[in-house]
Amino acid sequence: MNRFASIAKYTVMTVLAVISIIPILWMISGSLRPYEELFKYSSSLNIHLFVPVQPTLANFKEVIFSEGNPFLRYIANTLFVAGSVTLLVLLVNSMSAFAFAKLRFRGKAIVFALFMSAMIIPGEVTLVPNYLLMNYFGWLNSYKALVIPSMLSVFGIFLLRQFFAEIPDEILEAAKIDGASMTRTFSSIVLPAAVPPMITLALMTFLGNWDSYLWPLIVINDEKKQMIQVAIATFSSVEGTDWSKILAASTISTVPILILFLFLQRYYIQGITMSGVKG
Amino acid sequence: MTSVTAAAESASKTAPSSKKPRRFLRGEEITAWWFVLPSFALLLIFVFYPMLQAFVISFQNYNLVGSTRSFIGLDNYKSLVTDRDFLASLRHSFHFAIVVIPIQTAISLGLALLIQKKFKLTGLFRTLYFIPVVISTAVAATVFKLIYNKEFGILNNVLKTLHLPTTNFLSNPDTAMNGVIMLGIWKGVGFFMIIFLAGLNNIPQDLYEAARVDGATKIQQFFRITLPLLNRTTAFVVIMTTIDAIKLSGLVFVLTSGGPNGATETAVYYIYKMAFQQMQMGYGTAAAFILFAIVLAISLVQMRLFRNAEH
Repeated sequence: MNRFASIAKYTVMTVLAVISIIPILWMISGSLRPYEELFKYSSSLNIHLFVPVQPTLANFKEVIFSEGNPFLRYIANTLFVAGSVTLLVLLVNSMSAFAFAKLRFRGKAIVFALFMSAMIIPGEVTLVPNYLLMNYFGWLNSYKALVIPSMLSVFGIFLLRQFFAEIPDEILEAAKIDGASMTRTFSSIVLPAAVPPMITLALMTFLGNWDSYLWPLIVINDEKKQMIQVAIATFSSVEGTDWSKILAASTISTVPILILFLFLQRYYIQGITMSGVKG
Repeated sequence: MTSVTAAAESASKTAPSSKKPRRFLRGEEITAWWFVLPSFALLLIFVFYPMLQAFVISFQNYNLVGSTRSFIGLDNYKSLVTDRDFLASLRHSFHFAIVVIPIQTAISLGLALLIQKKFKLTGLFRTLYFIPVVISTAVAATVFKLIYNKEFGILNNVLKTLHLPTTNFLSNPDTAMNGVIMLGIWKGVGFFMIIFLAGLNNIPQDLYEAARVDGATKIQQFFRITLPLLNRTTAFVVIMTTIDAIKLSGLVFVLTSGGPNGATETAVYYIYKMAFQQMQMGYGTAAAFILFAIVLAISLVQMRLFRNAEH
């Protein structure tokens, strides 16, 4: 690698990194400035395009304590739903992944194939029937509609099954000889050994639910119960001009996720790599 | 009872099970079913049953408002094939897909190649490129809406500084899709970069060593070694990108609401509008089936093309 080529390479990498990150930096810095200031420096390129002149937390205060748009409540709603779904997804799918990996039962191959075939059924096709099903169960406008149908994760079963298959049979046999029930073996031997893929699945599920927009938009109509993404989209179309507030609301909903991701990104990236394996 | 059973098991996998005594212990089988039952129930109730229902509903005139349901055979499908709005929405989805597939795939591969070699800042760059993937759709679309703003948006600011004409992407029907495309690529590139990285790391390094010894240039190495050996990864990326692109909806909901003048109304957006704003459940579901059939057909063709490329 000669010098010129390596300088060029670094330049390209830096430019692309800047493009990746600028919208987010601009969002965060914009959320920290008074409304007038946001526009004052927006017509030319100078440092104050990004650096607040008079940093203020007023936007956050207004967004958090506003009567009409209680953002903390939306965040709490979303935390509750995404958290519940994540715990249930881990439980339900690790159980069946274990059965597919380690237990013998008739019809195993067929049942597993059924699960995998569900991967190609697109959510768009089942959107209407699922909505009608929620209507029939009387779950519309309740969190049951957001949590219960989301408990299944075929990708999760696929991911965990790969991992469970690598646990030596001898360990399970030994536990059996010691008189442990299958459930006991599963909860005290198998699950503790599977912490990394469980974190991967938890992270992907949590982020997926934090991100969900269309389904909550359809099944939840009580504003007070709404999820954060729908709230932000509504907020930005209602408050059309109050940019600094919109940016503050976006920042509040993004920064916690960003921090979570930065700490656990290794697991998340492993999950994506795994999803490439199945292709 | 360790290696013996292991050997017996591997044998039983190849030989028919009649050869050895049935080892399905009743207890184990019952336990196994209990373990599978919760997720299997969810699969039946929320995936397979709705799929069958969708099939039935797509042959009905089913309006949720008057709760009228009547069987109308293929009428939904017949009117969809000539429905201008639906065809336009398919066109928009394809417009998005045809632009995004090559550009996004090329950038993802480029990024993966750039950060494949380990050096001090690899991790940092990888994280920076990946961050847009983690930003939620609604937030990304909201922020980009402000970035594209003609008066105060940062994008026009940059254009102005470079003495380029400023535009207001989103309010012009001819250019609004470009705004959606840029956001889509910004958000999607990092994900596929990771997939390509995994593919690149699977290529044995000694192939490159051998090529270098034979005097192959970097460019020759890329076209003779990297690309052919990445074929499966590339196939996966292209097929996934295609499916995602044709099913685009979330970004459009927040960024443009299908506007201006319906110019960014994608197929999934149209399905939503039909089913949940006009309450035409049957019509919307039939549209979803048509879309699904198109996506499936394209994926199969792509798989075939990539498979042929391997030989």
